[in-house]
Amino acid sequence: MMTDHPAPAAGAHAEFSALALTALDDVYRFARSLTRDEADAEDVVQEAYLRAFRSWHTFQPGTDVRRWLFTIARNVFLRSTERGQREVTLDDDGAEAVDAAQAVEGWVRTGLDPLLDRVDVGPAIRDALDQVPEAYRAAVILVDLEDQSYEAAAEVLDVPVGTVRSRLFRGRKQLQEILAVHAQDAGFSTPERSSTGSSE
Amino acid sequence: MMGSEAAGAEKRMDCRGAMEQLFDMIDGELTAEVEQKVRAHITGCPHCFSCADFEERFLRAVHQARAARSAPAPLRERVLHALRREGWSG
Repeated sequence: MMTDHPAPAAGAHAEFSALALTALDDVYRFARSLTRDEADAEDVVQEAYLRAFRSWHTFQPGTDVRRWLFTIARNVFLRSTERGQREVTLDDDGAEAVDAAQAVEGWVRTGLDPLLDRVDVGPAIRDALDQVPEAYRAAVILVDLEDQSYEAAAEVLDVPVGTVRSRLFRGRKQLQEILAVHAQDAGFSTPERSSTGSSE
Repeated sequence: MMGSEAAGAEKRMDCRGAMEQLFDMIDGELTAEVEQKVRAHITGCPHCFSCADFEERFLRAVHQARAARSAPAPLRERVLHALRREGWSG
């Protein structure tokens, strides 16, 4: 299992423990949302931490260790699924996305409104998020769940800030549509869908 | 459909501009000057006010949905075990 990378200096071990390992919950949550599978998430987390330990000398003190770990975890995930090359086709036009979203916004809002007021909406949101395509889902997870800025998310995803913005928009709108369908199926609302348009 | 913004007010935000920047505003990604323009429009436009209120409630619900997941204890042990095999002495 040992490789030819340089082992971190002794003093770095405590630093790694204090910084990187305290973010384990965050990295696990991020990996779980990316993979949508418990076993896959755990594999990603373990591999990400091994890579992080081997590369600890490249971490810059004072920067956000969660951002650094998220980047590693997502790279591990992409490599494991070999999706890295496909996602470049997902970049889009923001104005076009706004038009598409407005075509269905009335239906979505009517359907979602009663759901948002429920205290037990969390599981429905997590299930819906699992259905959003990975590139959009990753942007939503980083910004909405993990409180990362657009710039930080761009660094993790290795895309321009504008791409984060458009993926975030599309991801949120898809999440809303999925939740609105859920709300309708669950009997929280009976909206009439006036358009079959999609933000995809 | 898009509300009541008066035409010809060059420095004021219209509905489309406000909606295009709504998420940036909620996420705190706008400059103070632009945010002020967007907020000024939203405050005075019933349609955009309703949209902004909905999106803020939606994003609040999404953020609150994150709390339930923390790393299982066996995973933590598994990671620590793998790190020790790698030479970690923490």
